Amino acid sequence: MKLKKLSILFVFVIIATLLAACGGAADTAPEAAEPAAEESAAEPAAEEPAAEEPADGGFAEVAREDTAVLGWSISSPIGVTNPWAVPGYTHQEGNNFLWEPLYWFGIFSDEEIPWLAQNMEYTNDDFTQMVIELNPLAKWSDGVAVTSADVVFTFEGQMTDEKLAYHEAFVQFVDSVVAVDDLTVEVNFKIPAPRFMFEVLMLKFDTGIPIVPAHVFADVENWNEFAGDLDMPHSGPYTIVNWDNNQKIFDLREDWWAVEAGLIDTPDVKRIVMVNLGGQIGQNMDVVSQRIVNNEMDSALGMNIVLLQSITEKNPDVTTHTGHEAPFGYLDWWPNSLWVNTQLAPYDEVEVRNAMNRCLDRETINNVVYEGAEIANVYPFPLYPGLQAFVDSPEVQALIEKYEPGKFDPEESKALMESVGFEVNGDGLFERDGETVSAEIHGFEGIHNNIVPVLVEMLRDCGFDSSINFGDTAYQNMVDGAPGMYMWGHGASLKDPYAAFELYHGRFSTALNSSAGTNRWSRYSNPDYDAILDEMAPLASDDPQFHALAAQAMEIYWRDMIDIPVIQWLHHIPYNTTYWSNWPTADNIGPGVNGAFWAHTGQLVITGLESTK
Amino acid sequence: MTTTTITNSEEIKKPSNLSLRLGYIRRNPGLALGVAILISLILFTVIGLMNIDSDDAYPLSVMGRQAPSIEFPFGTDYFGRDLYAALVVGMWQTALIGVIAGAIGTFIGIILGFVSAFYGGILDTIIKGVCQILMPIPVFLIQVIIAGSLNKDDVTVFTMALIVVLLAWMWPTLVIRSQVLSMKERQFVSVAKLSGMNNIEIIFAEIFPNLLPFIAASFVWSVFSAVFASFYLAVIGLGPLREPLLGNIIWGAQSQGAFFNGWWWWPLAPATLMVLILTSLALINMGLDELANPRVRRTE
Amino acid sequence: MKIRKIIERIFFFLLVVWAASTITFFIPRISSRNPVRERFGQLARSGGFAPADLEIIIESFNQKFGLDLPLWEQYTNYVGSLARLDLGVSMFQFPKTVGELINESLPWTIGLLVTTTILSFIIGNLMGAIAAWPKAPRWLRNLAMPFVLFMGVPPVLLAIFLLFFIAFRLKFLPLGGAYSIGTVPNLSLEFALDVLKHQILPATAMIFGSVGGWVLSMRGMGITIQGEDYVLFAEHKGLSGFTIFKDYYLRNALLPQVTAFALALGNVVSSGIIIEQLFGLPGIGTLLHNAIKFNDFVVIYGVVLFITIAIAALMVFVELLYPLLDPRIQD
Repeated sequence: MKLKKLSILFVFVIIATLLAACGGAADTAPEAAEPAAEESAAEPAAEEPAAEEPADGGFAEVAREDTAVLGWSISSPIGVTNPWAVPGYTHQEGNNFLWEPLYWFGIFSDEEIPWLAQNMEYTNDDFTQMVIELNPLAKWSDGVAVTSADVVFTFEGQMTDEKLAYHEAFVQFVDSVVAVDDLTVEVNFKIPAPRFMFEVLMLKFDTGIPIVPAHVFADVENWNEFAGDLDMPHSGPYTIVNWDNNQKIFDLREDWWAVEAGLIDTPDVKRIVMVNLGGQIGQNMDVVSQRIVNNEMDSALGMNIVLLQSITEKNPDVTTHTGHEAPFGYLDWWPNSLWVNTQLAPYDEVEVRNAMNRCLDRETINNVVYEGAEIANVYPFPLYPGLQAFVDSPEVQALIEKYEPGKFDPEESKALMESVGFEVNGDGLFERDGETVSAEIHGFEGIHNNIVPVLVEMLRDCGFDSSINFGDTAYQNMVDGAPGMYMWGHGASLKDPYAAFELYHGRFSTALNSSAGTNRWSRYSNPDYDAILDEMAPLASDDPQFHALAAQAMEIYWRDMIDIPVIQWLHHIPYNTTYWSNWPTADNIGPGVNGAFWAHTGQLVITGLESTK
Repeated sequence: MTTTTITNSEEIKKPSNLSLRLGYIRRNPGLALGVAILISLILFTVIGLMNIDSDDAYPLSVMGRQAPSIEFPFGTDYFGRDLYAALVVGMWQTALIGVIAGAIGTFIGIILGFVSAFYGGILDTIIKGVCQILMPIPVFLIQVIIAGSLNKDDVTVFTMALIVVLLAWMWPTLVIRSQVLSMKERQFVSVAKLSGMNNIEIIFAEIFPNLLPFIAASFVWSVFSAVFASFYLAVIGLGPLREPLLGNIIWGAQSQGAFFNGWWWWPLAPATLMVLILTSLALINMGLDELANPRVRRTE
Repeated sequence: MKIRKIIERIFFFLLVVWAASTITFFIPRISSRNPVRERFGQLARSGGFAPADLEIIIESFNQKFGLDLPLWEQYTNYVGSLARLDLGVSMFQFPKTVGELINESLPWTIGLLVTTTILSFIIGNLMGAIAAWPKAPRWLRNLAMPFVLFMGVPPVLLAIFLLFFIAFRLKFLPLGGAYSIGTVPNLSLEFALDVLKHQILPATAMIFGSVGGWVLSMRGMGITIQGEDYVLFAEHKGLSGFTIFKDYYLRNALLPQVTAFALALGNVVSSGIIIEQLFGLPGIGTLLHNAIKFNDFVVIYGVVLFITIAIAALMVFVELLYPLLDPRIQD
């Protein structure tokens, strides 16, 4: 039949053309074509040769009940495992299963967990020297021992390479790093560094540094451009055996040193499959939820509270940090504020910032977005035990009474605005010299899609010209300090408020029309404030003077409304107990770390899981 | 993909009278259905606009997550929009984008099509060439790039319409050009020429009226494409996010997992309206096409 | 004459490619966005990351991608590398080349979008032809109507509904993904069937969304052709209805549709972007969407150009093929 011939010819033409164009565009062979045909099995032309090679010989079958399936949006290029590759920040995408620190920090057990180092401590009272003793059994995956040379290499790399994340911290504090013997390293500081060990050398959440293998980098010309690939020697428990656009597969290393060293039992999870959910973090959560309910996935990135609640209702085997009860999650270290550029008019006026704060009805936020859980917040740090103790102190309580940072009062807002010359115009918006106050909120759709529309309406009802920007420009506008507000977290303090307050130190506040550093969006500059911070820096957090100074900084934060605190950040993470138990929850803290598998400490979460079979 | 049939047929007669055409509408169930749906949509919007408080179309105006009831016939969404108000405003905005984009696209098409066909020569070569060169460039991709490059403050219902129209004039231009070309050769034009009418007079007195069905079909098609394109732009988050455009409501529902959470009414109503708009436009376009092309009409 | 025609078409092809590349080059530059900065923004999204000196890193990457050069210089560099068929290196997925990225994604797009477009072309045209063929039984002619109504249903909407009801509620088919979790692509039949299973829902959404258009235009075309002398002549000659249908009617009516097909392939990308996202398929649409989200212009250029080249090449090819398909068309 001629029609059939015609259509077959046609199919060939198209495929030939596309493949030819493809072959021309890429150096690789054009037969890297599709793995299989469509449902049109009858269409012979659509059947193309599958060309992707199966993984080299040894790719073993692992049963579903020995596999942990995790959902995440993987966006780093395939093959980048080197923690020093730039742009980096690949630990959230499964590379945290490869790399290990000197110490972990378990936030729920409030415990420092020795790992590659069996001990590390400050050796003098003014925090200017510390000694690190390595675990003698620690080994890289290629059998080479982890020695003080690796630690020295890691630290010196940070000191010399300005592209690494902790370069600035090392330059600020570290004077010299000396290998005393194979297993001992001595670090000398330029100035007292009471928080350096915790902030930099311990891995927790997304901060701290892992130790990298010096013998691997010895042969590498430029470590920023060295991908590492699947076979880069590492110290962690898993090795990547397959990585394509759809997933990253990790298999357990039977010779992981930590088991031999008695730090941990042999993990039950023989294989990790990290499914690439595609797109930006937080997209397509609807489908992800459905896959968790159907037991296809064991955990996935945090989702909004309503979705997680629905999941637990539809599948009782799925639990959360607080089981089947609100708030279905744990406190993350990333409380979100509405930041403004405090150097840019009219946000440079304290009255305007305070007026904006008075527009936020934190109770409504709790009710509309968080099912009544108390998430709305007035602090730039998460209320973990140390910080809770700080805010419970009489000094801070007195400040709350004085400034009422959480009060919702549109009338006062109006009065404040009028006191600096704004008037309500015909559209019901504050206006001065013909200009309204842009309260365009720059945020991120995947994680802010439930809260930002609510904030926009509150600000708009109050008289600020508010709109949503979930676009690709949102982050850039924060960096540039564009007019408007930026929905963003702090990710700083865990134990004491210093790190959060330091975000507003004038030393980090770049001038107008230049780029602001991450988390320095406020560009706040106040010599009095800086003096308080400088005085705090060398003090340990249990020092009474430290507490008094911290309360002073807290007062300035609220008085000047440096940024406008909105919510604590809760991690609403589903834990499917069909195949795996011992997820870290409120009732069972497991390894003592937070349950996010993508945090640095995700390695401890996964290796701590127990099989249900 | 288009339903506008370009035909070089010489058979189109000068239509005799309007009543014949109105009679024809009755015999064309597709067109009748399309027009009926369109009219009810317009009524829904117009009556709605008189009934609602358009503030209710925005978040935090009513209690959220309510199933349809007497108070809220279409329910409310997660953010506390009254979906009835949101749908009315959304319909209005969606229609606005469609009509603005469709009108501009068709208008450019008419001008360029006439100029090209009537004056011919180098002008024709250029216009036709540009259209043909631009045609294979995937329009939607360009729209996405433009929308993605704009500052979010600049993305409004109107810029959305302009983005959509930017590459939507080539098809109307080519259609109208080919129709004018074929008419130019016909008897009634030659007669007019002999009787001493000049080009402008011929265009307005003779050719333009005969082209009306084609222009209408082309306009409807442009509106259809514009609504579709604006829907897709909204769905991938490139539209004006605060506005209750139908695409925005549907995508808001999807990103809050509305089905999964059991809020079925949230995506259902805007999806139905979207389907109704597009279906009615497609039916009308098909009907106009038949009206313009007597051969197609013949089979009925 | 023939040679001249071919040269003309090739020249036309080059013009299209130039126009597309120029448009895609300039549009993203209108905005003041800098993809390198935004790349680092992505990294810092979850907080905690404080690169020592952002400016130093950004500057070094700007230089690497030539973003510090004047615009016209960037443009000439760009056109120059295009002429060498070098699509450049992704900014976001550095150091992957755009060619590699396209190569990785293309199989999925061919597998889903191209196949469904071909299928809906065949189904739609056949139905459209039948709908216009007066001798076909009435029920057969009406078969096409539901598809025409589906024209107004964007494939994305259909996909959302299918995912929820068929995949989640009824558990008939997988909830997205290109193949089962934990399987590694290989040559086995088992794997092929697995992929097939994952493609059914997105394919259904795509086909239902696009058949209607073909039905309509083919119907119009068919009706026009019925009146042509050669069809009437064949009828009078007493040829069987079926022969007339396939040799005289269908074949002639199909020709203009073939050109439209090349254009349609470009348009499916719009549905494809969202369908691929929704089902988690790592095709060209997903690649492009991510590139736009992250403002990775190099990839945006590469993908748009690639698609344009494919379509333009197809159109040229089809036009050159016309005389072979239909001997009446000769220059």
